[in-house]
Amino acid sequence: MGRDGDSSGVKREERCVVVLETIHYVIKGEKILKKAGIGIDVIPVPREISSDCGMAIEFSCLDRDGVEQLLSQKGVTVLGLYLLKKGQYARL
Amino acid sequence: MIYFDNACTSFPKPPSVVEAIQEYCLRVGSSPGRSGHRLALEASRLIFETRENLSQLFNISRSERVILTSNATEALNLAILGLLTDGDHVVTSSMEHNSVMRPLNNLLKKGIIDLSIVPCSEDGHIDLEALKRSVKKNTRLIAINHASNVVGTIAPLEEIGRISGEIPFLADVAQSAGAVPIDVEACGIDLLAFTGHKSLYGPQGTGGLFVREGIDLEPLRMGGTGSKSESWEHPDFVPDKYECGTPNTLGISGLGEGVRFILGEGIDKIRQHEMALTQRFLEGLEDIEGITVYGPKKSDEQTATVSINVKGREASEVGYRLDREFDIMTRVGLHCNPGAHRTIGTFPHGTVRLSMAYLNAQEEVSQVLEALRKIAMSR
Repeated sequence: MGRDGDSSGVKREERCVVVLETIHYVIKGEKILKKAGIGIDVIPVPREISSDCGMAIEFSCLDRDGVEQLLSQKGVTVLGLYLLKKGQYARL
Repeated sequence: MIYFDNACTSFPKPPSVVEAIQEYCLRVGSSPGRSGHRLALEASRLIFETRENLSQLFNISRSERVILTSNATEALNLAILGLLTDGDHVVTSSMEHNSVMRPLNNLLKKGIIDLSIVPCSEDGHIDLEALKRSVKKNTRLIAINHASNVVGTIAPLEEIGRISGEIPFLADVAQSAGAVPIDVEACGIDLLAFTGHKSLYGPQGTGGLFVREGIDLEPLRMGGTGSKSESWEHPDFVPDKYECGTPNTLGISGLGEGVRFILGEGIDKIRQHEMALTQRFLEGLEDIEGITVYGPKKSDEQTATVSINVKGREASEVGYRLDREFDIMTRVGLHCNPGAHRTIGTFPHGTVRLSMAYLNAQEEVSQVLEALRKIAMSR
């Protein structure tokens, strides 16, 4: 399933993933980021990151600063921020 | 059919509430916070929006602190059993519902807590001076109901919040949420227990407890939360800490719509309408010989709940005749609140309780008055 050029604007080489504490924050984060016009996708937490059956928010790494700022401003607790590059998740 | 039993449960619900529940059942159907597919996400969004709507209604800044429960009784038990430990002193009032008195009485009998019951006047008003005097060094909780389920008397939450100071203040708003403005910040409320199926117009099986940041409760239950699944340690963050197992998603989506309805109509408009119904009812009752009315008898001091008795008749007989002869629904007896009936002087016989809501009409009040007149005058 190709991601390049899809409606969320996330490109395969530049994906960032933010893992949140609870589904409540995932939905809150989704709402805040979509309202700010940031292209996102809610995805299952990648197994390489965690065995939690939770969800995470994926977005273009170009939006990293905006995402971090907005989530912090609205009190959304971030458990971890990861960069997907060449098939590997690296913690930022 | 005239439904004057809204203090028990509101009926009918706004059509949009029924539609929301149906919409969930037909189109969404999934459990929130577990699976990752789009229907599960949709379910999670419904729950989230319900918390947000409730937060807006009660002026709560962080919606994750609105814990959803199956009813107000569960919310009150979570607050009481979750907070109190050995040696704690609790202050409550003589008008409290069994959902407060039974858990407190149980802790008292086990010797875990010490309990002070502040007296209320015959019309249900709490004695604020006695409340102040009852506070001790080891007072750990002040638990007061906002509006009486028997006579509708509204307690001054703001003053009680001031008196409670740093002591956790639990407000039981089962009878007032959605009917009377409630502001947890203005009133210094630390724990707010509400039900979804009365004036919030949600279905039965819903309710919740706001838990202020800084208050830590022992959860009533532990189990699956869809978070930290790799661990046997129960989460210590809200809302997951106090919500485990599959929630009543279809109920919560209905509750969300009920609260949206209230926000749309405006709490002040709702309050005005209910006060007008109460005013008309109280004035009409004054003209019927042989009827005793309890409570403040002032529409601005109570909710749209009125308790009466008919001279020479048992309350149960009056309720039965209202139902069978006039198709009017009421509740008779002690209303799960022997304390309130002792306070107003109607223990053990009880009263006929007639409780109106936003969806009742003035015309219905006239018809109920006419029915009561016939019953009071009949041999």
